[in-house]
Amino acid sequence: MIDMPDYNAMDDEEFRRLVHDWIVANYPQELRFPPERMHWEQCGDWYLKLAEQGWLAPGWPREHGGMGLDANKLLIFMDVCESYGVGRTPDQGMTMVGPLLIQHGTEEQKAHYLPRILAGEHIWCQGYSEPGAGSDLASLRTSAVRDGDHYVVNGHKIWTTLAMDANMIFMLVRTQNTGKKQEGITFLLVPLDTPGITVRPIVNLGMHDEFAEVFFDDVRVPAANVVGGENNGWTIAKALLGHERIFIGSPKFATLAMYRLKSLAEAVGLFEDPLFVSRYTALKLDVEDLGAAYRRFVAVLKRGGHIGAEVSMLKIWNTETQQRITELMLEAAGESAGVWGGVDTADGLVRPAGEFIGSRPTTIYGGSNEVQRNILAKAALGLPS
Amino acid sequence: MEDISLQSKIDVLTEEQVLIQDSAIAFIAADEELKRVRANRFQQPGFDRKLWREVADAGWLGLLIPEQQGGVGLGFADLTLVLIQLGKGLTPVPFVATAVLAARTLARAEDPALVDEYLSRLIAGDWLPVLAWQEQRAGLDTAAEAVVCKADRLHGRKMFVPDAGGADAFIVSVAEAGGTALYMVDRDAPGLSLEFEQRVDGGFFAHLDFADTPAGPRIAGPEQGAALLAEVLDEGRLAASAELLGVMTRALEISVDYIQQRVQFDKPIGSFQAIQHKTVDLFILSEISRSVVLQSAALFDSETDARRRAVAASQVKARCSDAALKIGKDAIQLHGGIGYTDECNIGLYLKKAMYLGSWLGNASAHRARYAELTLGVAQ
Repeated sequence: MIDMPDYNAMDDEEFRRLVHDWIVANYPQELRFPPERMHWEQCGDWYLKLAEQGWLAPGWPREHGGMGLDANKLLIFMDVCESYGVGRTPDQGMTMVGPLLIQHGTEEQKAHYLPRILAGEHIWCQGYSEPGAGSDLASLRTSAVRDGDHYVVNGHKIWTTLAMDANMIFMLVRTQNTGKKQEGITFLLVPLDTPGITVRPIVNLGMHDEFAEVFFDDVRVPAANVVGGENNGWTIAKALLGHERIFIGSPKFATLAMYRLKSLAEAVGLFEDPLFVSRYTALKLDVEDLGAAYRRFVAVLKRGGHIGAEVSMLKIWNTETQQRITELMLEAAGESAGVWGGVDTADGLVRPAGEFIGSRPTTIYGGSNEVQRNILAKAALGLPS
Repeated sequence: MEDISLQSKIDVLTEEQVLIQDSAIAFIAADEELKRVRANRFQQPGFDRKLWREVADAGWLGLLIPEQQGGVGLGFADLTLVLIQLGKGLTPVPFVATAVLAARTLARAEDPALVDEYLSRLIAGDWLPVLAWQEQRAGLDTAAEAVVCKADRLHGRKMFVPDAGGADAFIVSVAEAGGTALYMVDRDAPGLSLEFEQRVDGGFFAHLDFADTPAGPRIAGPEQGAALLAEVLDEGRLAASAELLGVMTRALEISVDYIQQRVQFDKPIGSFQAIQHKTVDLFILSEISRSVVLQSAALFDSETDARRRAVAASQVKARCSDAALKIGKDAIQLHGGIGYTDECNIGLYLKKAMYLGSWLGNASAHRARYAELTLGVAQ
């Protein structure tokens, strides 16, 4: 167990330097600003280094092995990572499973899974969507039938990010076909090496096998792997969705895109162009103002308060800002917008086409932005159906 | 009107802040139908002097002034709560112009005797000064050039002085040897003439011409004047942003209410997805604005560095000016034809946003200033 210093007590600038110096000393130069999601074979060493340093889970409480950062320090941590071009690791264990188990897991589950996430032993992926259950997630059909002290799982999950690199999957399964469709869903933790599981990669528009389909054929899973009790999966998933939306709503990705745009603009001399500077600044402020909103929401969590469906506003603002930033990158790049390569900059190669294409799914995943707006119309504004 | 903001759901107020907010809510509830707003429109001085007295009695004019100077000694986070409500009520009083800009200037006056004499009268609501600092359209620079002081006499022209018709005095920035100084000038000082321009919200701007006008007491010398003004104007930008937040919040509340009442095709129009998504976007914009106002107010309460305050002031004024205008115009669209009539109150919110959004620097001016301060790029 690492003896974690009290980072929140540090001066902001001191903390920023500490994080920056460590990252510069430890993050592989050749992985700076990776053009797409990295596979485990690229980023595994870095992941384990973070684990060793105790920095894998900046937002987790200290008693569970996280850094316990407050909202402000968390944003500084993020900003340092994004400005240096630290790529995203397979982080579902830290962003999703950990926070969920801390809230809803049994003591045994916490004791078993949390240390394995922090040690880099368990790499998680998410099994929610199915070919017939996208925005309408509750219509999912992958079934789990009780057989003694096991469940037998059959079905088909899709859009499972980095499933080929993971060894664990958290998933929603149907355990009951009567009543409201939300009421027959169970939340299950499954080792991916269980017999009967097949993972098939899917190539996306960026020509990258970032996600996969996962097939379940008579897969036997111990009943002890249920989180929150049978048929309570929808409630659990909704709680988790709160975590996911605050994560998707964090300025992390928009900040990263902004740094890429800045490098590109410097390389092609666009900061001499007042029209560009004006558009750049508007986007910069869209990101900064998101930071203010994000701090406001995270402060609620830190107080132990509850965040409702309103957190969707962060997801909408963040993803659409990120897309506008990458659209300006296309424009800034001239003909280089139409090639897979890109523009050499002082901070390495910037690939506007890859950035632009890579930002497309952000408004689709985690509940499409249209569905988010439907939710806000009812939950925040009380508008009628 | 139902509060649909996230404030009651996710923000935490102190007990004292709840009291301040409740009294401000009660204050504007007295004119929910905006009759007093309409009664003061387009006639001098464009605001309600009786209402000003009530604002003074509520204790708000000295809210930001330290206790040792006779004020209440609260901060911007507290002031913001009052300003949001005054914005919601479109309350026709020059609160930002006088209780923030003029009061905060006087509180920094070089002569403590002046502070005692004038600030107490301002706080009591007996005497109403406004700043006359601007010399050109869309100017943000606080160094005076056009108005000069020679042998204690002022010459030249100041522009866009708000609510001047009801002011008792002006605090005027003037160019003199060594920089920009600030002087007090009485409303009826000889050689001072006012030319008024009617604003869309029903108030007035004045352009002030000084012709051999005697300078009153000096508030700040030529070494301090420009910097003092710059600091105070940034406080005013934060305050105006909070008022804009109130304006946009109420415009949205009224619109959300309206689209639930208005029936077309046998259904409330608020049940249509096109209307819902548009309205949700306005809600998001208002909450982004609220987040920036809260963050900036907290920064002004803890940060004394003028540059950091300037960055925060430009950030918040850029956002709130844009958001209030966007919400104001989309509120008209959501109302349909009735929204385009003067009889319907929603238009009053759009026009207030047009005034407050452009005063003290509009959104693009503040984005440019933000770029200059943070990127080092001048446009």
